[in-house]
Order: sequence, then structure tokens, then C-alpha cells
Amino acid sequence: MASIDASTSGAGGIITTADNTGTLNLQSGGTTIATINSTGLSMASGKVLAPTGPAFSAYAGSAQNTTSNVYTKVQFPNEEFDTNSNFDSSTNYRFTPTVAGYYQLNVSVSVNGSPARFAIQLYKNGSAYKIMTDISCGTGTVPNAISGSAVVYFNGSTDYVEVYANQVSATGFYSNSTTVFTWFNGSLIRGA
Amino acid sequence: MTLYEKIKTIYPQLTDNDFFTVITLQNDSDGRGDYIAKWEHPTLAKPTEEQLA
Repeated sequence: MASIDASTSGAGGIITTADNTGTLNLQSGGTTIATINSTGLSMASGKVLAPTGPAFSAYAGSAQNTTSNVYTKVQFPNEEFDTNSNFDSSTNYRFTPTVAGYYQLNVSVSVNGSPARFAIQLYKNGSAYKIMTDISCGTGTVPNAISGSAVVYFNGSTDYVEVYANQVSATGFYSNSTTVFTWFNGSLIRGA
Repeated sequence: MTLYEKIKTIYPQLTDNDFFTVITLQNDSDGRGDYIAKWEHPTLAKPTEEQLA
């Protein structure tokens, strides 16, 4: 296999030299940063293969009152980051990635008050999709927050997800103005 | 009176667990309020609009 060196100086932009090692080195400034061989692609020490797929992180920023025994969409009107502008933080509080693939999603919802039961569900395309947590709370075991995660496939056009939560005997979901309480984030982990 | 309270008045035998399993009351946080998104109770019929009015 050939060795291909991309040079930014000299007459030749790309120099191809067959060395019969079976290895293809990708170099920058004369230093190998990645190697492709029969086992696959590996990065040199200290170098990273940085995916650039969509990633977002949103948070509530204030408390949200809800009715007991009603699955209520959790509102995330604040964003830490939204690399591809795929999270709607103004109207529907949903993530609709425009790149197809498999996404790791994580959510945590804090409660305002002392719930007898507290649950989070991930909704996909408007329907319940995955229970993330559903906890019955006895005396002395009241949670402050519950969380969950899932890997979800998106078609890159119409698929979207939202977070719904349900509490009994509390007043709703808790957050202050920080990113700490009641948040939702995710990123692409594998292409379609 | 909330939708949940109205349903509990009609069917006092319903438990909180029913509202986490066979019945789903939902609020889409869009200002339209609570509604019955799922009613799969094995013996009790879904309340009519007249009953809930």
C-alpha cells in the first residue's frame, strides 16, 4: 500500500510513495495523526477523531407547575448548545435532528415538592416511546430528581423526540435559572 | 376541577397506578390543557364528553 503525504510546502501538494508496509498514514506537518491498516482506523496518541454530528443541551431554567397524574411535556426554553439548530427551545421543546442516525439521549427532571410517584417518558413522534424512570415514593424516600437515557434512531427529517413527566402529589417540575436542574441533551453516536 | 378530578369523581375506584399504566392523561404544554391520550382500562369505559363537561 502507498504512503500519502499531504505537504503544505514545496512543489508537490501530495506525494505518493509506495513502501509496502500495508499502512496508510495521514500526516500533518510531517507528523502522523492517523493510521489506516488491516485492523481499521486509529488515531495517534493525543489526536482525536472528532465527530461533527448534531449535539444539543437544553434546560428548563424555571419551575413548571403540573397536575398530578398527567403526563406533561417538559419545557426546555434554554439552550447550552445546539450545534445544528435541531432543538426547538421556543415552541415545541423537541429535538428533530436533520442528520439520520442513532443518537444518545439523556434527560433528568427535578421535582418540586414531595411526589408519591414520579416518572419520565421519552415520546417519539408524539407517542410514548420509552419509560425512562417510574418510581413510587414511600415516606422518607422522596427523590429530588429522576433521570434516564436511551439510544434512538432518527430518519433525519421527520422524526422527533420530546420529554414527558408525571408526578403525583407534588406541584410540578423544579428548576432554578441554572443548567443544573431539569435538562435534556443528546448527540449523534452513529450514522444511519 | 381538573380532568383527573373529574374522572376520579366518575370512577372513584380508579387508582393512581391506573393513570401510569392503562390510562394516560396528557398535557402538551401548548395551552390547550389536559386531555385523555390513552384509555385502555379493561372494565371501565372512557368517559364521554358529556360526563366530563
